[in-house]
Amino acid sequence: MKRRDFIKSTGTIVAASPFMNFGAGIKNNKKMLVLGFDGMDPMIAYDMIQRGELPNLKRLAQSGVFSMMRTTIPPQSPVAWGSFITGADPGKYGLFDFVHRDPETYFPITSGAETIPASLNIKIGKYKIPLKPGKIVPKREGKAFWDYLEEKDVEATIFKIPSNYPPSKSKQRTIAGMGTPDIHGTYGISTLYTSDEEEAMKDITPNNLFYAYLNEENVLEDGEILGPVNDLVENGEKTKVSFKVFVDKENKTARIDVDGKEILIAEKEYSDWVEIDFPLIKGVSSITGMVKFYMMDIEKSFRLYISPIHISPKTPAVEISTPPEYAEELAKKVGLFHTIGLPADTKALSQETFGVEEFLTQSNSVFDESKKLFGYEYEKFLNKKNGFLFFYFGSLDQGQHMLWALTDKDHPYYHPEEAKRFGYMKEELYRMHDRILGDVLNTMPKDMGLIVLSDHGFGTFRRKVNLNTFLFNEGYLKFGVNEIDTEISLFDDYSEYDWGNTKAYAVGLNGLYLNMKGRESQGIVTKGERRKLLEELQGKIQQIRDPENGRQVISEAFITEDHFSPDFLIRSPDIILGFNRGYRSSDSSALGGATREMVTNNMNWWAGDHCINPRHVPASFFSNFPINKKIPSIKDMAPTILNYFGINETPTMNGDSLI
Amino acid sequence: MAKKVKLSNESSQKADEILAFHGYSSLEELIGNLIDSEYEKIKSDDDKDEQAEKLSGLGYIS
Repeated sequence: MKRRDFIKSTGTIVAASPFMNFGAGIKNNKKMLVLGFDGMDPMIAYDMIQRGELPNLKRLAQSGVFSMMRTTIPPQSPVAWGSFITGADPGKYGLFDFVHRDPETYFPITSGAETIPASLNIKIGKYKIPLKPGKIVPKREGKAFWDYLEEKDVEATIFKIPSNYPPSKSKQRTIAGMGTPDIHGTYGISTLYTSDEEEAMKDITPNNLFYAYLNEENVLEDGEILGPVNDLVENGEKTKVSFKVFVDKENKTARIDVDGKEILIAEKEYSDWVEIDFPLIKGVSSITGMVKFYMMDIEKSFRLYISPIHISPKTPAVEISTPPEYAEELAKKVGLFHTIGLPADTKALSQETFGVEEFLTQSNSVFDESKKLFGYEYEKFLNKKNGFLFFYFGSLDQGQHMLWALTDKDHPYYHPEEAKRFGYMKEELYRMHDRILGDVLNTMPKDMGLIVLSDHGFGTFRRKVNLNTFLFNEGYLKFGVNEIDTEISLFDDYSEYDWGNTKAYAVGLNGLYLNMKGRESQGIVTKGERRKLLEELQGKIQQIRDPENGRQVISEAFITEDHFSPDFLIRSPDIILGFNRGYRSSDSSALGGATREMVTNNMNWWAGDHCINPRHVPASFFSNFPINKKIPSIKDMAPTILNYFGINETPTMNGDSLI
Repeated sequence: MAKKVKLSNESSQKADEILAFHGYSSLEELIGNLIDSEYEKIKSDDDKDEQAEKLSGLGYIS
């Protein structure tokens, strides 16, 4: 089948007819594996299959189905995996974007979890002891499909599925994935020590950057790793642990003395994980994190990268698994591993702390670690008579975000030299994932159900769009000034926002909100005005043209009440912006800000993306059994898995079983 | 320990007007209230900075 025919034929390759009866008996089998390859694009996969470069995905397609799959509106990972987990549309589980907004303050907030601070403190000397400890509450609502399995005594292991931090209460073995923070509670703050004076002046916020002064004996004496804020003391300061680095320039090696440990490391080499205790109350209480050191350069200058401080799975500072000892079991059996939800350090490449080669070294180590963890879980799974295993791989997603410009000559951030050296890597990532599948196909029992899927596809991200600038230019968003000088930021220029005269504003990667009376603290739009305003905005937004080339910037604006169940619609944007191919929200717009220019070039290594119109980035679906829909939807996955195990009563779901 | 504060005549007159307008019982009460409100602003700015830091760590936002 040709590429065009694949798309026209609704994007489905089905097995030859003898396989079509396979589904009839599959319900009697009680073992299923689902591999989640985040960001696997069906068109790239199709092209590579046609070229014979993904032989194992081809084998799987030939034994069952390969199809495009409908993703969620918007096609963002937390939203799409939320739909996978709950078998429903986003209205039923309340996740609509990486970034939501607080209707009280209009400020952007993370969507996946909420931190409730500790309270009822008592003071003992300089310490402040909370009687009621703080907690982190998951914001993903709905019932996870593994809870249904639990009710029917089907054992499940759910490995690093996004949108499950903190892990929802369960007796199943689950470990949190995307959304899991570092020890600071952020998405990951790394540290760079450099003796390059020019580099030391750079702004790499929110990461830490320090000038490295090496004494005459080539020793860095005053290194510090900044830990979490010590909330147990009044006006809590950041905890810190000191370290020293003894550099041997001749042999291009270094010794790092930290927290009672000596780490030997060569130039261009990563250390193993190093566990570090940050003291809270001396001798009584501490918090354990872990880092990797990367001795990037010794010869030309001294450059030492320290990874974000991960929660240690051996002694997790917060709950990252169910049961809590599951994380410890993994650490004991397989070794320490990345626990941050997005472990590839994309920020280090964006900020040019890493070059492409260094990014690949780091991100490939994450992939290798995932393979090792999968090997452990898969072997356990093979030895079981029945049960369910979901295993998540995130490297394809993170890699495509960062490597896209290497294969897109029309991208404003195309780098011809790097393209020559590393342009093969995007497709190599597909091949790496295909080889994992190959190991499974070669060892799995014939009667085991197998699904390989992604949450969304991928595309280029060439131009950044600021929706707040559009709303300001059109008079829907008001500031105290008549024109924007360079940028107005919610964080820095809050007083400039004239909420009392604002009708609509954008926050998040795809979200646009009306300033609703009774919902927003200073809302002015009445319920009676709502629908007319939504349709007016929808029409205008779809007409926005790129001033540089006249292209349509937003190919579809989705009025959410027309698409989502009402259960948690109160948290949802009123319109979700479906950007055209090549366009995406600017950083400023996503954080509620506005810039003078509405559309600008994306000059960043983060050059591939999927936070656009879901119709442009469908997900991929492969199975070793036939399905009953031409185009499945990601919300059909949970009902399908449950049906496979004979569970047909799924009242919380509105997806359909595909078998 | 309590601190003494010296006000200029102009500030003192303005303070008297505020006391009368808002019905504060004393200058100490007014100053205490102003300090509380300024302190809250600092604390909420800290929270905002923390939130900005948190979000900008997300690779999607540079």
